[in-house]
Amino acid sequence: MTAPRGSSVLTAELARVAGAPPLVYRDVALLGRPDRRFDLVIGAGEVVVAIGDENSGIEVLGKLAMGLVPPASGTVEVFGLPIAELSYYDLLVFRRRLGYLPQGDGLLQNLSLRDNVALPVRFATDHRLREVDAKVTQLVEDFRLRAIAGLRPAQANEEDRRRAAAARAVALDPKLVVLELPFVGLTGRAAQDLLDRVSRTEDGGRRAVLLTSRELTPSVRGLVTRAVKVVDGVAAEDAK
Amino acid sequence: MVGGLARFVLRAVRAAARLTRAGRWVMLRVLINQIRFTALQAIALVGFLAAILAFLVISQSIRQLGRFGAIDNLGTIMVVAVIRELGPLLTALIVVSRSGTAIAAEMATNRVMGEVTALEAMGIDPYIYLVLPRMLGAIVSVATLMVVFDAVALTSGFVAAATSGMSLNRYTGIVLKTLSAGDVWLTLAKGIFFGAAVALFCSYHGLAVKAGPTEIPQAVTRGVVATIVAIFVMSAVFVVIAS
Repeated sequence: MTAPRGSSVLTAELARVAGAPPLVYRDVALLGRPDRRFDLVIGAGEVVVAIGDENSGIEVLGKLAMGLVPPASGTVEVFGLPIAELSYYDLLVFRRRLGYLPQGDGLLQNLSLRDNVALPVRFATDHRLREVDAKVTQLVEDFRLRAIAGLRPAQANEEDRRRAAAARAVALDPKLVVLELPFVGLTGRAAQDLLDRVSRTEDGGRRAVLLTSRELTPSVRGLVTRAVKVVDGVAAEDAK
Repeated sequence: MVGGLARFVLRAVRAAARLTRAGRWVMLRVLINQIRFTALQAIALVGFLAAILAFLVISQSIRQLGRFGAIDNLGTIMVVAVIRELGPLLTALIVVSRSGTAIAAEMATNRVMGEVTALEAMGIDPYIYLVLPRMLGAIVSVATLMVVFDAVALTSGFVAAATSGMSLNRYTGIVLKTLSAGDVWLTLAKGIFFGAAVALFCSYHGLAVKAGPTEIPQAVTRGVVATIVAIFVMSAVFVVIAS
C-alpha cells in the first residue's frame, strides 16, 4: 500500500518530530476561559476516553485535534506538530494520517455506505482501482457492512451508519483516531465491537484513540487505557 | 459579495492547480454524474422547447415577412434571434432551473449536515470534490445543450417553413447565407461562460450557508437569481463584443 503523499515541508517536519506522542493538549482553554486550562497526553497505542457533560469542553476536543478549529490559547500537537500552525493544504495532507469520526457520522448522503468508506482510500493514495476495491471490501467485511453496503446513509440505521463512519475513519490505517461521542444510541455490545475494531491497526497492533463520551460505557471499560473526567474545561481526574 | 465570490474563484483555481492523479479520478466520477444529470437528462426538455420556439418564431415570421415580400430575411431572424440570442439564453435558464437549483441545494445541505467539514477532516479539499466537477460539468453540459438546441431549432424551423410551402433548398440557402463560423464560436463561448456562471453562483451561495436547514431555500433563491442576472448581463456584453 502507498502511504498518503505530503509536501516536502510536511515530510521534513514529520521526520524531525519522529517518536513524538500521537496527541498532546497543552494549556488549552477549551471554553475560552484563560483560568481553565486543559492538559492531556495520549501515547502510542493508548485508548483514552474524555468524559464530560454538555458544555464541559469535550465537544471541541476532536475538532482541535483535527485542526478544524484553532485553540483559543495553548497548543495542540499531533505527532509532535502544532496542528493549528500548518497551512490549509499541509493540513489537508496531514489529516490523511489521522482518523476522525465526527459527532453524528458525517457520512456523505449522496454516496452509498461502501462509497463513503472508499472515498478516503480513492482520494488519498495512488492505489490501483483493483487494490482500492480489495481494501474497501476488506473494510466492509471487518465492520460487518456487507449486507447493507449499497444503502445510502439515510436508508441505514444509526448503528450501521456509525460502523460505516468508523470504517471510513480507519480506512487509511491511521496511527491516531479521534471519535466524537461514538456510542450515542448504540447498545453496549455494539459499542464494544466498534471500539475493538477501531483500536486495532492492520498489522494487529493497537492505535492511539481519543474518544469523547458522556459516561464510561461499562462494556468498553476493558478496552480503555485511561478515562479522563472533564469538568468546566479542565481534566479533573482519572475516571476509570 | 464580489469579494467573497473572488475569493471563491481563487480557491477553486488553487484547488485545480493542486489536483493530484488520485484526486482527478475521484473528481472524474463526480463529473460524469454531473454531466449525466445536467446534460443527458435535460436533452429531451431542451429539444422540446427548441422545437416549439423555432416553430413559433419561423411560422410567425414567414406570415409577417411574406406580406412585405421580405421572406429572405427569415435567415436573419433564425440565426440572430433564435441561434445567437434566444437559444443560449433559454438553454442556460433550463440548466439553472434544473441543475442550478440542485447544485445550490446540495451544497447547502452538504454544509448544514457537516459533510464539508467531514471532507476536510478526511484531507479532501471540498473545492476539488464539490465545486470543480460541478463547474466543469456545467460548462460541458451547457455548451452541449446549446448545440442540441441549435440543431433542433434549425430542423424545427424547416418544418415550420415547409408547412408554409418553402422548399428545403430555399430554407437552407436562406439560413446558411446568414450563419457564419463566428456563430459557432459565439455559441461555444456562451456555453463556457453561462455554464461557469451556473456552477459558480449556485455553488458559492450553497456553500455560504451557515446557520441551518432554514437557510437552504434562501441559498437556492440567491444562487438562481444571481445566475439569471449574470447570464442576462453576459448576453448583453456578448452583443457588444460581437458587434
